[in-house]
Amino acid sequence: MATTELTRSSRIYSLLHSRWPQFVLRALTLAGFIFTILSGLWGSRVGSHNFAIIFVWIAWWSALKLFFIPLGGRTWCSICPIPLPGEWLQNKGILRSRGAQTQPGKRWPRFWRNTWLPVFGFVLVGWFGAVILTSPQATAFVLLGLFLLATVLSLIYERRAFCRYVCPIGGFTGLYARLAPPIVQVMQPSLCAIHTPKTCYEVCPWGQYPPALKTSANCGLCMECLRACPHENISLNLRPWGAELPSAAKLGLDDIFLALTMLTTAAIDTVIFLGHWGVFKSAAYTVGSPAWGIFAASFLLITLGIMPAFYTLVVWIAQRMRKERFSFKRSLAYYGPILLPLGLMSWMAFTLAFASTKSSYLLPVLSDPLGWGWNLLGLTNRVPTGQTSSFSLSLQTLLLAGGAMSAVETARKLSRSKRESMPLLAFIASYAWIMMWLLLG
Amino acid sequence: MKHIKGMLLRITQPRWRAALIFILAAAIILGTPVPRSTTSTGQRYIRVEASRYAFTPEQINLSPGERVTIELVATDVKHGLSLDGYELDLEAEPGQPARATFVATQPGVYRFRCSVACGNLHPFMLGKIQVGPNLPLIRGSLLGAIAILIALYRPQHYDQSAPNGNH
Amino acid sequence: MKQEYLARAIVVTLLVLVLALPVIGKTLWRLQNPTVLEMRARLPESGGWSPSTITVRSGQLLTLRLTSEDVVHGFAIGKLDQPEIEILPGEFVETTLILSTPGKYVFYCTRWCGPNHWRMRGVINVIGDGPTPTPEPTPLYLGLEIDLDAPHQAEVIPDRVVEPQRGSKLQDRLPSYTLEQATYLSNSPASLWMRLRAEPSLRDLNDDDLWDLVAWVWEQHTSAQEIVAAQELYAENCAACHGETGKGDGVMMRDLPPPAPDNHTPAHNERTRPPDWSEPRQLLGASPALLAGKITRGGMGTGMPYWGPIFTPEQIDALVAYLYRFAWNALSKETPAHP
Repeated sequence: MATTELTRSSRIYSLLHSRWPQFVLRALTLAGFIFTILSGLWGSRVGSHNFAIIFVWIAWWSALKLFFIPLGGRTWCSICPIPLPGEWLQNKGILRSRGAQTQPGKRWPRFWRNTWLPVFGFVLVGWFGAVILTSPQATAFVLLGLFLLATVLSLIYERRAFCRYVCPIGGFTGLYARLAPPIVQVMQPSLCAIHTPKTCYEVCPWGQYPPALKTSANCGLCMECLRACPHENISLNLRPWGAELPSAAKLGLDDIFLALTMLTTAAIDTVIFLGHWGVFKSAAYTVGSPAWGIFAASFLLITLGIMPAFYTLVVWIAQRMRKERFSFKRSLAYYGPILLPLGLMSWMAFTLAFASTKSSYLLPVLSDPLGWGWNLLGLTNRVPTGQTSSFSLSLQTLLLAGGAMSAVETARKLSRSKRESMPLLAFIASYAWIMMWLLLG
Repeated sequence: MKHIKGMLLRITQPRWRAALIFILAAAIILGTPVPRSTTSTGQRYIRVEASRYAFTPEQINLSPGERVTIELVATDVKHGLSLDGYELDLEAEPGQPARATFVATQPGVYRFRCSVACGNLHPFMLGKIQVGPNLPLIRGSLLGAIAILIALYRPQHYDQSAPNGNH
Repeated sequence: MKQEYLARAIVVTLLVLVLALPVIGKTLWRLQNPTVLEMRARLPESGGWSPSTITVRSGQLLTLRLTSEDVVHGFAIGKLDQPEIEILPGEFVETTLILSTPGKYVFYCTRWCGPNHWRMRGVINVIGDGPTPTPEPTPLYLGLEIDLDAPHQAEVIPDRVVEPQRGSKLQDRLPSYTLEQATYLSNSPASLWMRLRAEPSLRDLNDDDLWDLVAWVWEQHTSAQEIVAAQELYAENCAACHGETGKGDGVMMRDLPPPAPDNHTPAHNERTRPPDWSEPRQLLGASPALLAGKITRGGMGTGMPYWGPIFTPEQIDALVAYLYRFAWNALSKETPAHP
């Protein structure tokens, strides 16, 4: 399967070149986002009857994990409303790109030019996940907080610094975008070589340099480069799924840690939300109680300690089986690509399990978004208790098995010998089996 | 005829063979139905207590064909018990327990959930009933093992023409 | 430039729409339903009914829009015959009341929502003109000066199963006062038995015959329908604490220590479970007036709710008659699960 150049079609090209389609989508997501915050703050306290809970944690989360990321990489980032006011203020206009009128903004501090802040953000949300996912007000505050933070950071720092270096959603989206098909590429590198102004880099809100773009990890698919290039030399391509494996364009230690955090939180969230152990749910929910203290400590211990230690051990053993050794730090990053398909598939399976029993809430909540007893669409009725279908279970099995398969294939490609891949295999097999046990069994 | 031959040749190239074997294995492992149990193998009475947000006992293991009577006792507010895959839906309030009987004909693992809104964590108030062996996990483990073996043993075939070199 | 202004106009329009939707929705609704009062139910620990006091003129339509913000609650008004209304979280249900008799009405929650469920009550004050409410009779225990908190262990109890049918065969032997309402109300089964034992005309009957007679007398003061109604009242209101079999082992009482039968006025940290009514000495030593008094007034610090504003005197009498069955049935060899 070769790379497909999407923008070869003039219709697609003009859709991406014009600012209007993307703007309309973003205006709509902004309106929806503001409505979500209002609904969370002002609407019913009963989560199942509030637009904020149902549309953020069931509709949008499922769309993100099951479609946007696996098929489109950072496509959500291209229509995300969170940085919008900041961008408009920076560019002093809605339909404007970065240019002469854009205020310069400070460079994002070097110490934080990595994925560590998104890791912390994600761990924080996971820590309080049981409360956030069930309280409309908590959801609203989290969204409002991200919104305000993005806007303030846009006024101080250059470009979409929040999106690239702070946003917890952006963190894992970028991580798994390495597996997804879309990638922005230059068509004729020779043209770029003789083009001195490098307009594409000037306008890119993500600080990417299109001629050298090898990975989709940090490209927000905003298409500003495509619009700005005077030679129309930029195209949007679709490459085969998982094309960046195993090289994955140099994962850093921060990316590895994020990937491990994603694996751990997928398992912990499955235990809390889909498991049958009531004691963990209550512990995760009653923030401030001694039980929650134990939960919080265990959560941190497993996420920040046990899982990274397990991975480190596995890498150490694998590395010893290899004839020529790298530095240990490099080997941690070197074997990292196995974590990507494993993590994405596990999150997809979890999301499927989580959302499939609650999908029947979507239409009634559209009919009565604030939970005030409205019946806008005539669909407000008592929602039947959802059930897990065998179809959903089969799909989850396929995802987990497929993720393990892809991870093992990556491990093999990274290893010089079967012996070297054995510890990696053990890691992959044990994690995949634990997820299967939690989700299916 | 030439088309079909050409297609078959392409499909059995290593890079498609893996996917084909995987899909075939998945279809067999996930699709094979397990026979329902028709003979009755005994009776059981299980008292399930419900509180916010847990059932006690949380896990119930049954033998296929067992005739089970469940008594739901709510201990703090009104709760419900709805069993996936069976027509079982009970509601109980403190002081007024409810009973229902069903026959565990279909082997597998089923969740039972609270069916009466009892607070914020209500959608996550779950328990588990296992009838016979843990079938979904067995299927999953089998498929997972086959998937790993496929990935481990398929020949490393690098396609020189594709720009990124894989698949 | 025009495009920029159009874009800004679109953004502003969408935001205004989004902000207006809840505001307009709420305003429109208020305009269309000016007389509807929104009544929110929350767990008693989180505030209970909101509002908890309503004042309305007699004969005026009162439409309540009920909703719950946490668990399943229920709404009913004490002493009125209207059916209760179940309130599901996030759902809205409307009910219209017309109260023509002025006075104070107590509304209460009818779905167990935790240990403080019985405290979830509110008041509807009906003011203005209307028929003067018939005053309720003073509870008998006050007239008889019964100390509700004094221990009431039966002095004697039967030592075998009582059979009221056997007692009915001997009914002609009973003195006339036995069947009077006043006698029934002011005597416990044990005290009536002792009075009959002291009757010279009944000296030939043995102790067991007298117990059969007492049980038969007790049956005469109630009816099958009353018992069925009381059974339902008991299951909905009492079983959660007193237990389905009256043993005081209801789910709400699990964390409390077993009862000390002689202490009816415990300090707050000495709360115990209710007494075990399958122990015959408990109920057979209590008169219907005493039991009715306890139900009406509640316990002094024991946690027993006061049902005076909620149950009608007829309901209380039915409940009292039902309660004795816990004691009578405990004597039988096979105690049924439900009396």
